[in-house]
Amino acid sequence: MFEQAISAMASVVVDPYLLGLIFATTILGVIIGVLPGLGATTGAALLLPFTLTMDPVHAIAVLATIYVSATFAGSITAILINTPGTSAAAATTFDGYPLAQKGEAGRALGIAVISSTVGGIFSVIILCFAAPLLARVAYEFRSPEYFALTVFGLSMLASISAGGAVKNLIGGIFGVWLSTIGAERVTGIERFMFGNYELYEGLHFVPIFIGLFAISELLVQSKTVNKIINTVTMKAVKLPTIEDYKKIWKTILRSCGIGTFIGVLPAEGATVASMIGYSEARRWSKNKKEFGKGAIEGIAGAEAANNAATGGAMVPTMVLGIPGSGTTAIILVGLMVHGLRPGVYLFTEQVEKVYQIFGSMFVANVMFMLMGLYAAKLFARVSLVPTQILWPIVFALSVIGAYAFQGQLLDVWLALIFGVIGYFARRHGFSVAPIAVGLILGEMVETNLQHSLKMYDGAWWMILAQPLALMFLVFAFLGLCGPMIYSWITKQKD
Amino acid sequence: MGGLSLNIMKNIYLVPLILTIFSLSVIAIALQLDTSPEMIVGESMQARSFPIFLMILKLILIGVMTYQFYKNNPKPVTLEKFHTWGSMFLFLLFYLLTVYTDMFIGIFVVIFLMSILWGERRIWVAFLTATVTPGLVFLLFDYVLKIRFPRGILMNLYYG
Repeated sequence: MFEQAISAMASVVVDPYLLGLIFATTILGVIIGVLPGLGATTGAALLLPFTLTMDPVHAIAVLATIYVSATFAGSITAILINTPGTSAAAATTFDGYPLAQKGEAGRALGIAVISSTVGGIFSVIILCFAAPLLARVAYEFRSPEYFALTVFGLSMLASISAGGAVKNLIGGIFGVWLSTIGAERVTGIERFMFGNYELYEGLHFVPIFIGLFAISELLVQSKTVNKIINTVTMKAVKLPTIEDYKKIWKTILRSCGIGTFIGVLPAEGATVASMIGYSEARRWSKNKKEFGKGAIEGIAGAEAANNAATGGAMVPTMVLGIPGSGTTAIILVGLMVHGLRPGVYLFTEQVEKVYQIFGSMFVANVMFMLMGLYAAKLFARVSLVPTQILWPIVFALSVIGAYAFQGQLLDVWLALIFGVIGYFARRHGFSVAPIAVGLILGEMVETNLQHSLKMYDGAWWMILAQPLALMFLVFAFLGLCGPMIYSWITKQKD
Repeated sequence: MGGLSLNIMKNIYLVPLILTIFSLSVIAIALQLDTSPEMIVGESMQARSFPIFLMILKLILIGVMTYQFYKNNPKPVTLEKFHTWGSMFLFLLFYLLTVYTDMFIGIFVVIFLMSILWGERRIWVAFLTATVTPGLVFLLFDYVLKIRFPRGILMNLYYG
């Protein structure tokens, strides 16, 4: 098994086509990451249709590379123009921009690059070991366990983004409901199709995701027209000095652990990881007063954590079919479209492909490090592409991408409709990521509930008699009600 | 009841009201769905049960959300800029042009008008973007990915 994994990962390095693809995608990912508003999720949604004709490993490698490189690249604009290219880089602005204003933009970027690379590589190594182990545990799962697991995943939506727990859950339920559109899988009864037979097999994820992430972002960006951006000048990226390393190595290691752990939790992602990585860096620092004024530990803490979360988030995605974020939801769709069924099967029957994907992520981390060190200044200029040119191009890519998936105009209209829905949802403080995750998990939760009910002749309480299922349901309950119970207890004590 | 209190009321109740109407409509439609014979469904669920369950759950959460809004009056949302409404109108225009002329004519017109709407003052830049982008995307999808685009004025000329 170990030898097989090593040889599969090594095969990435000797495959010139795959290497070239990862190189090109890393450049694209960094460009996507530095363009405010685009980010890893929108980028992956736009690129998904382009991967349809690719070999499965190449396709997933492209999406995974976009994920890791765009997550890193968000820090470039966070440091230079105080605008995080991705939400995961928001915590980097706290100290990155103040350090850049002091004339040390190159140093700030150097620390961000090194921390991101260490975080990314650390999480890929953990992914290589943790994913097969978790797959072995998942081998024991039956319908009740899968049902409970998806409920747990849905309950974690409460904290997936900044929308607020209740709003996120409402979004998640809306997503699950969307998955019920089309013919019901057991009885074949048509649900919410309104005579539209193109919907017989249900809503497809790709146009919906393009609408929710790309088109809605276009409408959000229309509010930022004529926004003035102040950039900080930079000569070159500087590698951290020995003194810098002495200051940040503990922070990086801690954030690697935090980021990977947060990433592994279903429905948590890089944004949450970077915030916790940053606050833990501050908590353990001897120079707390420097935080917010250009502390290098702050940059290292946030950046190592957000990139470590990328590998962590791939664990539940590939092993359990439960995405850890909007981007991994798209990667999951990519896996399914290419016939790679996430779960135990993937780790027993297609293990070589799995390790090639892991190997690609490893190579992507090294490539973005080189690009970050030698071309960050160049990439930073990309962020100055005028919005009035960039977003009309995104529109064209979105509609053609939505059409290309199945060759149906209905998908284009769906992308536009869900773009408008996504925009109004975001306008009122709802995040679109829970809708996407709900849509993916919807079929899983309904099907497994149906199977469980059949297994126990309608006695739903028997699900609670299964130890693993009960454990997931307890976690879900604690995830939802824990904060409320804790605050109630604290109030009582006061 | 001054204008301000009306605004606050709108802030608190508009979103929950829309969501409630939506959820109730889904329940009403779900109740009209066919039922399957016992021998197929057995002790499992009817096709309508799951969506109804979801909407009931959603209604409970809407209740919680409304209570939260009532307790902590939500921030008023900023009004859409002209650019946002204009962009949505361009989506509609894209639909009409695609259905009645050609998808690529729709894309060209929307890119061109969107660039101008969003503040591009150089007409030639907007024109160049509107021409080059769909052209490159078409070449990529047609030659590399072998996608056949929907028929229209331009595609009829191309496909024959």
